[in-house]
Amino acid sequence: MDMLRITDLHKRFGDKEVLHGLNLTVPEHSIYGFIGKNGAGKTTAMKTVLGLLKADSGEIFVGGEKVVYGQTSANQYIGYLPDVPEFYPFMTAPEYLRFCGEITGMKKAERDARLKELLELVGLGDEKHRIKGFSRGMKQRLGIAQALLNSPKLLICDEPTSALDPVGRKEILDILLTVRQQTTVLFSTHILSDVERICTDVAFLNNGVVETQGKLSDIKTKYRSEEYLLETGNDADIRKLIQAFPEMKQIGANQLIFCESVRSAFDLLRFVSEQHIVLLKFERMEPTLESLFMEVTQK
Amino acid sequence: MRSLFAFIKKEFTEQFRSGRLIILGLLFVLFGIMNPAIAKLTPWLLETMADSLAESGMIITDVKVSALDSWVQFFKNMPMGLIAFVLLESSIFTKEYTSGTLVLSLTKGLERYKVVVSKALVLTVLWSLGYWLCFGITYGYTAYFWDNSIAQNLVLSVVCWWLFGMMVVALMVLFSTVAKSNTGVLLGTSGVVLASYLVGLLPKCSKYLPTFLTDGNSLIYGLVETKTYMPSLVIAVATGVICFAISIPIFNKKQL
Repeated sequence: MDMLRITDLHKRFGDKEVLHGLNLTVPEHSIYGFIGKNGAGKTTAMKTVLGLLKADSGEIFVGGEKVVYGQTSANQYIGYLPDVPEFYPFMTAPEYLRFCGEITGMKKAERDARLKELLELVGLGDEKHRIKGFSRGMKQRLGIAQALLNSPKLLICDEPTSALDPVGRKEILDILLTVRQQTTVLFSTHILSDVERICTDVAFLNNGVVETQGKLSDIKTKYRSEEYLLETGNDADIRKLIQAFPEMKQIGANQLIFCESVRSAFDLLRFVSEQHIVLLKFERMEPTLESLFMEVTQK
Repeated sequence: MRSLFAFIKKEFTEQFRSGRLIILGLLFVLFGIMNPAIAKLTPWLLETMADSLAESGMIITDVKVSALDSWVQFFKNMPMGLIAFVLLESSIFTKEYTSGTLVLSLTKGLERYKVVVSKALVLTVLWSLGYWLCFGITYGYTAYFWDNSIAQNLVLSVVCWWLFGMMVVALMVLFSTVAKSNTGVLLGTSGVVLASYLVGLLPKCSKYLPTFLTDGNSLIYGLVETKTYMPSLVIAVATGVICFAISIPIFNKKQL
């Protein structure tokens, strides 16, 4: 089942069209990376899903329920973590979560149990101070706790790791991985290593449209290059190879790049075995998210 | 219902922990004590100034003060109390817009009208508590020093002033749902009150305007009939109700 479906979403601010025909489908129990440059429209898209912004046209369904601007009941399925979450500074972390539980109408016993469990999960179990004195990382963690409080079916995080140090980032990513069993996570980011670490699915957003989306593994396969890296022990072998396969590119002292477009990799391997060339390395070049991102955003 | 109570509780906690509740309390208590105190001290003040006044040709004879002087002070000081109240509470909505704290509550499914109702209720309670506390203190001291019974229509005059304050509260709520910052709230609220005051300078219009309600002196001296206050009373209440009623649909469509 699809947890979130966005079809043909348009949104303009003044004369600037931020989203023009955004389509996005987020399957249940995925960790969905929503990737795009700053200003690509990630936050706008997310806020529209939450009913905080009015779409010019297009439809959004969360768990099968249509999202309307303003007072939207689809929000009951969603937990939201904004890029810079702001809480009431005069409360302590447990007080804030209790307040959240009360406004969502949770039962007292359930609320108190959940509150304790979540504060432990995000590592704020022993925190007695008011939120006023919290660091950015602590606020981000409290943000995840409040977003997960009423066990949402969809957790939307807007660049949860962008402003954090490496330790803080790791903590947030670990928490997101942990909660995957219970919920679907949609998170926007431009930090590609984060995506590579935890995401199952991705969508690349560029200039207000989703350029490509799907399972991370499928996308990697789709964009897999037909290039191989080849490394030998000595110069003589390199010369032999270049003579036989002039289309190869030399990229280092003993390294060559072979592209399958002209001849198959098996031809190369046959030649290597006939000539008794000792290979130190022979590997298929995996596309990195970075190269994918570049390819998608520069189209 | 539970979510409404939770939000109201949060509002009061905020008022208390931010110190605003205490400041407002002290302010209204101070005003309450000041009103009779100034009336009581007037003869003494004039006496100490008698010499310099005599030099400029004014001769102080026997100065008599009564309960009426204390109530004149009450109506003279109350605008300051109201202004302080508006200044202190003008950011009750807008602070949440600029900090983004409302977003999390609303995305949890809290109905928007509950935000408006909670905050309007808190403002109402604070204004009423402060006002009637001030009234109570002034009444007590005035009764102790003089005789309150010589003030005519005392109840009506103070109720009128309180209702005027309630209308200002409704204006604050309305402008808070329209404006993005508390400057907008202050400008809108004071703009309406100022307009009412200026138009009220025209004798033909004055008795239809809410600012007419602040003229408590005419009532306690018995200079005007009580029914003269009816049109402005009705208009002030209607304005308050309308402001509050339209602030809910406006807030429902507000971009946060």
